[in-house]
Amino acid sequence: MRNLLKIITTLCITNTYAQDKVVLDSVSHKNLEEVVVTATRNERKLGTLPMPVTLISQKQIKSMGSLRLNDVLGEQTGLFIQNDHGQGVQIQGFSPDYTLILLDGEPLVGRTAGTLELSRLAVGNIKQIEIVKGPSSSLYGSEALAGVVNIITEKPNATNGSLSMRYGTNQTSDLAGSLSFRRDKLGLNLFVNRYQSNGYDFTPDVFGATVSPFQNYTFNPKLSYDFSSTLKFSISARYFTENQENNFLVGKDKVSGNGNVNDWNLNPVLRYSINEKIKATARFYTTQYRTNATLNYQKDAKVYDETFFIQNFQRPEIQIDYAMNTKHNFTFGVGKIWESVEATRYDDIKRFETIYGFMQYENTQFNHLNLTIGGRFDAHSAYQSQLSPKFSLAYELSPKITLRGSVGVGFKAPDFRQLYLNFTNAVAGYSVFGTQEITTGIARLQAEKQIAELLFDVNKLGELKAESSLAFNVGGTINLDNSLKININAFRNDIDNLIQTQAIARKTNGQNVFSYLNLNKAFTQGIESEISKQLSVNNQAFTVSVGYQFLEAKDKEIVEKLERGEVFRRNPETFQTVRVKPSEYEGIFNRSNHSGNFKIFYENSKSHVTASLRGIYRSRYGFADFNGNSIADTDDEFLQGFMTWNIAISKTFKEKYRLQTGIDNAFGFTNPERIPNLAGRLIWVSLGVNFEKKKKS
Amino acid sequence: MKSIKKIILFTLSVSLFLSCKKDEVTIKEPVKAETVKDLAADPTTISGTGQPVASGKFTFYNFKNGIVPNADSTTNKWDVAFRGTTILTNGGSSGIGQGGAVVLNGIFDEIKEIPASSTFAQDSKTVLAIPTGSSKGWYNYDAPTNIISPIAGKVLLIRTGDGKYAKMEILNYYKGSPAKPDANSVARHYTFRFAYQPDGSLKFN
Repeated sequence: MRNLLKIITTLCITNTYAQDKVVLDSVSHKNLEEVVVTATRNERKLGTLPMPVTLISQKQIKSMGSLRLNDVLGEQTGLFIQNDHGQGVQIQGFSPDYTLILLDGEPLVGRTAGTLELSRLAVGNIKQIEIVKGPSSSLYGSEALAGVVNIITEKPNATNGSLSMRYGTNQTSDLAGSLSFRRDKLGLNLFVNRYQSNGYDFTPDVFGATVSPFQNYTFNPKLSYDFSSTLKFSISARYFTENQENNFLVGKDKVSGNGNVNDWNLNPVLRYSINEKIKATARFYTTQYRTNATLNYQKDAKVYDETFFIQNFQRPEIQIDYAMNTKHNFTFGVGKIWESVEATRYDDIKRFETIYGFMQYENTQFNHLNLTIGGRFDAHSAYQSQLSPKFSLAYELSPKITLRGSVGVGFKAPDFRQLYLNFTNAVAGYSVFGTQEITTGIARLQAEKQIAELLFDVNKLGELKAESSLAFNVGGTINLDNSLKININAFRNDIDNLIQTQAIARKTNGQNVFSYLNLNKAFTQGIESEISKQLSVNNQAFTVSVGYQFLEAKDKEIVEKLERGEVFRRNPETFQTVRVKPSEYEGIFNRSNHSGNFKIFYENSKSHVTASLRGIYRSRYGFADFNGNSIADTDDEFLQGFMTWNIAISKTFKEKYRLQTGIDNAFGFTNPERIPNLAGRLIWVSLGVNFEKKKKS
Repeated sequence: MKSIKKIILFTLSVSLFLSCKKDEVTIKEPVKAETVKDLAADPTTISGTGQPVASGKFTFYNFKNGIVPNADSTTNKWDVAFRGTTILTNGGSSGIGQGGAVVLNGIFDEIKEIPASSTFAQDSKTVLAIPTGSSKGWYNYDAPTNIISPIAGKVLLIRTGDGKYAKMEILNYYKGSPAKPDANSVARHYTFRFAYQPDGSLKFN
């Protein structure tokens, strides 16, 4: 800790010394004007907010040459891409299940085993990405426990168009086009994307690829119409569809087939300014996520497995913003959610209902002080009601230094799977039941004489409660005149009622029957810092940044056991048993204690060249428990730390044409066995063209 | 942690000091730990139809004399019996002896005596003194790889058929004690360590 501070101070000092000659750049002033909506559900200047928010601009995304949301998020300080039934994002040490993903403020649904696949989202029409770290259940309810990622897409504010094509390693191609039209009161916008890849195979001698070929399409139309300066209407829609081949071995039999994933949503919004002070917004969001897959044996074309999954989500919501005067802002909202799931693994349609209300009060009456108090109440049909308060404070110590702190409660509701799953794996033979299904499930298996032994009293499972956390975030921003910016945030999350799988019974085939219960307590804590520096000389602008996160994420029960000396390890060769020391516990699996990044962005406004170099590092992390003491504590249970480098360079010709090329994972770092989602070196080239309606002079 | 170490060191030095002073004290030999390798616990054979078959018979063991013939299964001459992952003690529903067991968390070498608080369970028809099942008694079972791994830090305190005490620790369940058993390893072969106190006391040194 002390060392870290030392490093930071040293860096600051060195930078101040190196500073003198640099011409003040206008970009740094622009930063102060950056506006985000996610943190307060209102447009607020990034610099004034009392909670930690990261903003990723379109310019930055373009300079990186990223295509999908996971590419962008994976390069941010404190964020990791975690691959568990899809690529999700880890924030402040939380698994992807605990981060809410929003598209223009509306939640995306469709999580396989808890992870929302981020590659479902193309970034071609994104205006900016806002990441709020720390619980935001006070505004957004369930899932916003680790944080919220909000993807803000372009609005039809001008008449223009663009087209881009890209091709690269693994026959990966991307085609994107957007058209925008604006005339007086009417705005229209359409974004279309086609993305496909041949995938790759780390084990060519085994049937089935590591990533099978796929292609997907995204359509994203929008319409806005201003009835008057006080009444504005907009409607946006999204349709996404993806097809992927599936090939794998079941024993010695080859199984193959196609899987399809699609989602759509519709989001009409009506905004009405009742007067100068009061604004009302009504939304009616509807979305559906659907998958289906059919797998056949290659030898006789007989069906091996046929599955489908349909999730529906519908939510009307009214929000009222009341600006009493410039010093007091109130936000109120009420809404209702209808959710349902119908799938092969559920015995009929399962439904949830939630009624909620939230409010927020922002006080800026005192000089240099921003106080935000908010809270939300969720009344749910299947589990206990939740109250999620949050209190945040920002204090402008001086024009250069802002301090911020927040305390909040976050929660994640038990999902459909944990409540209603009714699934038996045909190949492995184990069964999983949600807590609402387990009693009848066990009774049925007992009647069928499939149960050899009961391992856990079903009555002790109790009603599943929401997982919840209490979080503290304390930090600040230092903005020096010489365009050096330092952001620091320390966090602590205490998580209660984590839902774990529990073996309930042993079947006669030797496999277990599982269900879920609230069991574990855990904590995550750490410190995150980012230092960035802008340099500009003549037409050239450089932004250099260094990000670092220290993270500790531990299971509290394991920590207690270690302290009591109840965790052991046996050397399998010498049979020597030793106690595992508390210091040998590095944390929950897939958590790196140290991570960081180093980035350089370059822009030449005269020759219209941009370039970026980004290095992403994570230190070693546990991935397995081979010696049966439920933690990673020997070297073979860890993956070594690694760094990947991404490079991109672009040149714009005649203000219209943009040629870009890059290499992702430039040194081709791979670990086929343990990190199969990390493809090797990817080389790509893209060409884009922009059309702009000529302005009438 | 550190303070505990200090206390242990202190008590050790004090006891050493005391024992040096009182030269009339006869130092009793601690019971020696022995390791048994590859004790067959009803290993399977492949039948004519290619199915693995087991005989269903237990291997009976006496800590003093070693393997006991099956004919003596209804006497108190055996202490523990092995078949697959099941370990019986000679008492309760399993035998006519006084046998029972306690599964204790700890390190084998550090257990100098049977803790006074120990309540010895006896086998019953529903649950054994050394429970079977993954992570319930002495082993973990990994379903995907089908491997049984003895849990480190599980010491089995045994009351023998004739009412004496022993401590034991299962080290491996596969023939030849492979460090990393795999699908080719031959299961149902116990390697274990035990210390047996023949004088009937609860102490191991």
